[in-house]
Amino acid sequence: MLALLIKRMLTAIPVLLVVATLTFFLMRLVPGGPFDADKNLPPAIVANLNAKYQLDKPVAQQYVTYLSRVVRGDLGISYKYLNRTVRDILGEAMPVSIQLGFTALVLAVLIGVPLGTIAAVNRGSWIDVTAMFLSTAGISVPGFVIGAFLIFIFGVWLKVLPVALWETPWHMVLPSLTLAFSPAAYLARLTRASVLEVLEKDWVRTARSKGLSRWATVMKHTLRNALVPVVTVLGPLTAILITGSFVVEYLYAIPGMGRFFVTAVTNRDYDLIMGTTLVFAALLIVTNAIVDVAYQILDPRMKVEG
Amino acid sequence: MTASLNAPAPEPVKAVSRVELAFTRLKKIPSAYIAFWVVCLICLLAILSAFGVPLSPYSFDQATDDLLVAPSLKHIMGTDELGRDLFARVIYGSRLSIAIGFVTAGVAFILGTTYGAISGYCGGKVDTLLMRGVDIAYSLPDLLVMILVGVLVGKGTFGILFALGLVSWMGTARLVRAQLLQLKEEEFVEAARAAGQDGFSIVMKHLLPNAMGPIIVALTFTVPSAILSESTLSFIGLGLSAPECSWGTLASDGWRSLRSYPHLLGFPSLFIFLTVLSFNCLGDGLRDVLDPRTRLFKG
Repeated sequence: MLALLIKRMLTAIPVLLVVATLTFFLMRLVPGGPFDADKNLPPAIVANLNAKYQLDKPVAQQYVTYLSRVVRGDLGISYKYLNRTVRDILGEAMPVSIQLGFTALVLAVLIGVPLGTIAAVNRGSWIDVTAMFLSTAGISVPGFVIGAFLIFIFGVWLKVLPVALWETPWHMVLPSLTLAFSPAAYLARLTRASVLEVLEKDWVRTARSKGLSRWATVMKHTLRNALVPVVTVLGPLTAILITGSFVVEYLYAIPGMGRFFVTAVTNRDYDLIMGTTLVFAALLIVTNAIVDVAYQILDPRMKVEG
Repeated sequence: MTASLNAPAPEPVKAVSRVELAFTRLKKIPSAYIAFWVVCLICLLAILSAFGVPLSPYSFDQATDDLLVAPSLKHIMGTDELGRDLFARVIYGSRLSIAIGFVTAGVAFILGTTYGAISGYCGGKVDTLLMRGVDIAYSLPDLLVMILVGVLVGKGTFGILFALGLVSWMGTARLVRAQLLQLKEEEFVEAARAAGQDGFSIVMKHLLPNAMGPIIVALTFTVPSAILSESTLSFIGLGLSAPECSWGTLASDGWRSLRSYPHLLGFPSLFIFLTVLSFNCLGDGLRDVLDPRTRLFKG
């Protein structure tokens, strides 16, 4: 298992390099620079600014400089947020996004997996039909609609929950619910299909014929196997949750990474774009590695190749 | 409903085309069959809107003072802050939203099928290399790529189509590749090769037609996800914006006045939801009908 983790960390390096290279050149390929939006700066000042931040050098040279800085742990400075380094900004924003994403992930699993299991066990009944309709509807609603709906009910109408910012635990309720909604629906569909498949296996029939009750069979002999595909999607799902938070952070005015990323892209805040993208990619790699380890715990037969 | 696949063909003598057969089976899944007609209706509305809508989405009559009115008989979805009829605008917006869904699916089909076919048919080192590329493309979150590319290429319709196309071909590519790897070992391929056909015509005439079922299913799911992505991007202000009019831009405009005029967000959202839901239900049904690997109807 340790070998697997080490291997994962080693393959992460080329992936991060590819991500950094693509983003860097894509950013520079398109017109516009970080100082365009400022009010009619005289060309001399723009030239000075570009010189200060070394934006007047050839792009290839900037690329090399950037990489050598990143390797030393220096992510650069923001061109827009005065006197703030990218590391500072991300240091504040990352915990917020991770907290939000993780809460939503837990919620999604706690709602989706039981819902899918109940649907599968009661296959064909009204419970199954209702649960499946709800979850198909759930993956069909855009996140902002859920958010608006929740804000309208709990914030505007009932006035029981705060609808913006990120301060007390109460502020976390609506954003996490919004974010968890469609992953929960997705997990329910996936769990149902997977449980149905496992329920057909011989050992389940054996367990039933031994006289175990239906639920005991499900809990003891089915779920562990049925959860393997669910665990597989948790990696990509975490990615969806962290990036899905773009919308949620926008809706609820939460100072997370998604918000900074969106404004950074619009502002051409080069170093901040690079920093956020790299952190996102790194988070993804880490979660995927964790998923692989979880895989082996769930199903020791599984041999994961790095 | 449970026995649909095992039911004997009603007219064993008459030859039934594959499309007819699929349609007959689809009829037996109520949710998918209803969804099919809803999709047809929405597409028809979108096409007809090109020939003009009863109440112009742009014209507004200041004299009537019908600004921001709630839904009524005259304006069944109410009006916006300039007095424009929301129903007309939603129908008008369907054109762009639906078009974006279909164009993205088209791009995913062309790019994904070509890429996947080359990878699957060639196999070996080419396959490994091409699939490594897909892995890397997959490892980046869609929304991240779309925001980056969409904004950098330029906001507008082209930018968003470019961004959506860029993130939606990988699934199709993987699918086509997996299908071809499996199919190319079949005997009919060997027969075709023995008959002297070259690789290109084997892929076009023998392999792809046999892989069409799962491809169609995958594309049916691409349309709604593209519609969702467009509306989400437009909503956070990074997709389309006025004067362009899609369901996403309408919802985005509506969000700003949610507290006082919820209908401005509600109706566009309802249309997004209904369309996406129909496509998803249709896709679920088509998968049961066309994709032999998923067997939801075990006798």
